[in-house]
Amino acid sequence: MKPTGILFFPAFDWAISPTHPEREERLLYTRDQIFEEGIMDLPQIKEYHPRLAEIRDVARLHFCIPTVEAQIIEAHLVSAGSALVMADAFMQGEVKNAFAIIRPPGHHAMTVSHGNRGFCNINNEAIMIEYLRQKYGIKRVAIVDTDVHHGDGTQEIYWHDPDVLFISFHQDGRTLYPGSGFMEELGGPLAHGTTINLPLAPKTTDAGILYAIDELILPMLEDFKPDIVINSAGQDNHYSDPLANMAFSARGYAELNSRLAPDIAVLEGGYSVETALPYVNMGLIMAMAGIDYSNLREPDYNPSRFKESPRNMEYIKKMVAQQWTAYKNREETIADNRKKSGNFVNYNKSIFYDTEYIYEDQINHLRICQNCGGFRMIESRAHQRTGEHFHVFCISIPANACQQCQEEGRAAYQDMIKKRPFDLLYLQDRVKDDLRIYKVHKDIETVL
Amino acid sequence: MLIGIDVGGTYTDGVLFKQGAIVATVKKPTDDMNLKNTLLEVLDELLPSAGEQKIERIVFSTTLVTNLLATGRGERTALIMLPGHGLPHDAYDICPDIFFARGTVDFRGNVIEKLDQKEIDDILARIAAAGIKRVAVAAKFANRNDIMEREIQSKLAADYPDISVSISSEISNKLNFPRRAATTYFTAMTVKEWMRFAAEINQAITERGLDSEVHILKADGGTFSLDTSSRRPCETVFSGPAASTMGGLALSQPNLNSVVLDIGGTTSDIALIIGGEPLYASKGARLGKHYTHINAFAVNSVALGGDSCLDYDGGIKVQNFRRGAAACFGGDYPTVMDAFNCKMALGIGNAGQSAEKLQQLAAKAGMESSELCRQVVNIVIERLISSIEAMFREWENEPAYKVWEVVNRRKFKLDQIIGIGAAATAIVPQVAARMEVDSFLHDYSPVANALGAAVVRPTLAVELHVDTPNNFFSVGPGGIRGSLNDRGGMQLGEAKNMARQYLLDMCREQGMESYASESSFYMEEQFNIISGWSRSGKIFDVGIQIAPGFISEYKGVSS
Repeated sequence: MKPTGILFFPAFDWAISPTHPEREERLLYTRDQIFEEGIMDLPQIKEYHPRLAEIRDVARLHFCIPTVEAQIIEAHLVSAGSALVMADAFMQGEVKNAFAIIRPPGHHAMTVSHGNRGFCNINNEAIMIEYLRQKYGIKRVAIVDTDVHHGDGTQEIYWHDPDVLFISFHQDGRTLYPGSGFMEELGGPLAHGTTINLPLAPKTTDAGILYAIDELILPMLEDFKPDIVINSAGQDNHYSDPLANMAFSARGYAELNSRLAPDIAVLEGGYSVETALPYVNMGLIMAMAGIDYSNLREPDYNPSRFKESPRNMEYIKKMVAQQWTAYKNREETIADNRKKSGNFVNYNKSIFYDTEYIYEDQINHLRICQNCGGFRMIESRAHQRTGEHFHVFCISIPANACQQCQEEGRAAYQDMIKKRPFDLLYLQDRVKDDLRIYKVHKDIETVL
Repeated sequence: MLIGIDVGGTYTDGVLFKQGAIVATVKKPTDDMNLKNTLLEVLDELLPSAGEQKIERIVFSTTLVTNLLATGRGERTALIMLPGHGLPHDAYDICPDIFFARGTVDFRGNVIEKLDQKEIDDILARIAAAGIKRVAVAAKFANRNDIMEREIQSKLAADYPDISVSISSEISNKLNFPRRAATTYFTAMTVKEWMRFAAEINQAITERGLDSEVHILKADGGTFSLDTSSRRPCETVFSGPAASTMGGLALSQPNLNSVVLDIGGTTSDIALIIGGEPLYASKGARLGKHYTHINAFAVNSVALGGDSCLDYDGGIKVQNFRRGAAACFGGDYPTVMDAFNCKMALGIGNAGQSAEKLQQLAAKAGMESSELCRQVVNIVIERLISSIEAMFREWENEPAYKVWEVVNRRKFKLDQIIGIGAAATAIVPQVAARMEVDSFLHDYSPVANALGAAVVRPTLAVELHVDTPNNFFSVGPGGIRGSLNDRGGMQLGEAKNMARQYLLDMCREQGMESYASESSFYMEEQFNIISGWSRSGKIFDVGIQIAPGFISEYKGVSS
C-alpha cells in the first residue's frame, strides 16, 4: 500500500501581524501534537519538503496587479509551492493521497488580486489545479471546500468553468464573512450547476454535515466523475473556533475526510489554535492514511453536548434536495442560456478586500461559446493599499478553451494594445501556457 | 597516552596513541559471547607498548547493547504507557509486556484526565505477579508535565520496592511519545546487564593498576564516562560507525563537506560530514523497527565490500556475501577486491592469484578478463555513488518549517571522499574520480575507527522548554522541572542563559566542565502566546550542546 503524503509547513516565521489569527503560533500546537504522537514516523506516512512555486505558476491563475512580485512575499510562494509538491507526489504515484498542512491560506483570493482578502493573497488550490492541468493534462476537477467561510475566491475563479465542480459548505453568509455562498449562486451561464453552495445554520453539528456529504456531495462526485478530488480543508467548523459558530468535532472532520476520500487536501482556515487544530489535523492525517481514529478526541469533547435539532435537519434535507435538482438540471439550463444570450454576457462586480480595505470595481465579459465555457475579459480598477490606482484589462483563456475562444481571446489582446485605454493589459492563455503583461504607457510587453 | 578500542561485529581494533602518532595497533576477532574478554585481550596487548608511561584515557565502543537488543537477552521489562487520545493502541507495538493506562496531559502540560488509581494498582499487581522486576513508564507529553509518571514511580517505590523503574521524562525532553517510550523501554531492559559489564570493566582496569579515565563511545560520536553510561546505556548503540566517522574526520581536513566511506568485508558504511560536522539521523537511531531519541549519525549501509564475491549467471553479479578472503589474500574465489586489484594494477597481496581466479570466472562468462574487471568496477562504483547521492537527496529533502529554510534551500556540495577500512585504498579513489572530487586516504585509514575512539571528546545536549503563561520550565535529559522566578517579561536571551547554566551544571556533575566553554546553541525558538487578542507570554525552546569534536590533547596526526 502506498503511503499518504504529508507536507507540514507551519511558516513559523510568517504572520499578518503579531496578534492576528494568522500568526506564527497558529500551527505550533499542531506541530507539538503530531510530533508527540509520532505519526510522521509511521510507514503509512511520507513527509515532504516544501518548495517555492514559480511566478508563472501564480500568473497562470491570477492577474496580480501590477505584478506577481508586487502582491506576494516568499511565504506565499512556499505555501503555494507546497501544494504543488503534493500534486507532483500524487500524480507521480509516490503516494495514495496527500495533505498539505500549509499556511498562508488561499481560498478567498480571486482571479484578480489587488491585495489580501480574508487573510489570502493567492489561491493555493487553484494554482495547484491549473498546474495539474498544464503539467499532467488533468481535465475535470472537483473541489470540496470544508472551511466554515464560503470559498468565494475559488468560486469566482471557477464560476465559468463547466469542468470544475466547486462545492462549498459553510456557515450561512448572513452570519459570517465573506457574506456570500447562498444557494442561488450556482455558476455562470455556461457553467451553471457546477458551483454548489450549502449555507448552514450556525451550530450545525457532525450529523448535519455528514448528511450533506452522504446525500449530496458523494452522489454528485459519483455523477460528475472528476479526474481528481481536492479538499479545501479549512478547520473552522470546529465548535471551539473563535471566528465562527459551528459545532463540528475533530472526529467529525476525520469521518468527513474518510467518506470524501479526497486525492489532495489543502489546509485553509481554522483559528482555534490550541483546542481544535492539533486534534483536527491529527484526525485528517489519520483518516487519509487509513489509521483507526476512534481513539481520537479533543480534551473537552462530549458527544452528548452537540445534538442536531430536528428543525435544522429538515432545513439541510430540503437544501440538499434543491441543490441536487439544480445540479441535475445543469445541462438543460446551460443549453437554454446558450440560446438566449448574445455573443457576450457582461456584468459588473464590486469586490471588497477586508484585510487591506481595498474596493475593486470590475466589468466582466464572458464569451458565450457554443463549444466550451468561453473565455473571459475583466476590466478592473482599484486604489491599492499603497495609494496607487490601477486600471487594468485582463484576458483569461481557460485550460479547456476551444480553438475559436483561443483565437478570439488572443485577438482581443492585440486589439487592446492598439486601443490603449488602460494602464496594464494582461493575457493569460492557459492552453498555450502563454502569459503576458503589456505596460501601455511604456509600450513594453513582458512575456512571463 | 591514549587508548582507543572499537569493538566491531567481526573484528575488534585497538590503538595506542601518543602525540600525533599511533604507537601500537591490535586487531582481534570479536567474541560476541564475551565482549569483556575481547576488550581486555586487546587492552593487554596494547599496554606493554606504553611501557611506564601513564595512560590518561581509555575509550571503547561496544556492541553489547546492540547484541542484547538483537538477541532479546535483555531483562524482562514491563512498559506502562499512558497514550491519551490519538493513535490506536496497536500503533505502539514496542514489547510483549505492555500495559495501557488512562491519564492524559496536553501539549501545554494541562492535565486533561487524571490517573485512574485502581487501574494502576491492577496493572502493578499483574506486573508483580508475573515476576517482572523492571518497569518502564511513558506518558504522552510527560516532557511537558511529568506528574503521572512520577505518581506511578512513587507508587512502585512504596508498594513494590524490589521493582526498578525508569520514567520517560527523565530520558528525554523531546517531543515524540513513541520514540520516548521505546528509548525508555530499551534503557530499562539493558541497564542491568550494562551495569554488570561496567563493573567488570572497572574492576579489570583497577586490577591492572591503571588510573585512567574510562569512557564509552556513543552513537552521537562523543563519549561519556563509564559512570554516566549506566544512566543511558542505549546511547552506546551504533558507536562503531560513529568511531569510523570521527576517525575519518580526525585524519582529514576539518570544515569540508565530506563523505566518509568505510569499506569493510561485506558492507560499506556511508556517513556525511557537512562543514566539518557529522550529519545526524533526523529521526534518531532506529532499533529494530522503532525510532528512538538516541542521537546517532546518519549512516547508510550498503551490502557491498572488499570481500563480496563475484558470480556469473547470465550476467556478472556482485554478491552481498563473502565466500572467504579475496583471492589475492589466499581465498578460493574472486572478489571485488581482486577486480580492483587487476583493473588498477594495484599489486595488492598476491596479484597473480587475483588474475587467475578472475580469469576462471571470465572464461565461464565467455568474456575477456579485462572486460569482467571493467564491469565489476563499474557495478561497485555505481552502487556506491547511487547510495551516496541518495543520502545527499535525503538531507536536502528534510522537512522545513520556516520560509527562510525553503528560500535558502540547501544543496550538498561535496569536497572530498574520506576512505576508511582495509579495502578503501583500492576502491575509494575510483569512486572519488567518478564523482570528480578528491579522495582522502591516510596510512592510518585501516585503524581510523580505533583512532576515532581514542581522541573524541565527551558530548552533551541539553534542551530547555519554557512556557511563561504557565510559569513552567523543563530541562532534559534528567527530567528537571520548575517554575520561573519572573514570568512576566522573560526574553529569549534569558532562556538561553538558563539553558547554558543547566548545561554547565551537568558538565560539572559529569566531570566534563573543561568542555563547557565550547558549547553552542543548535535550537532557538520563541512564540508569542495570544489569549483573546492580546499577548499573554511566550514559549521558548532552546537547545545547547557540546558537539562532537576532539579532546584538547589531540592536535592532529603527524603524517
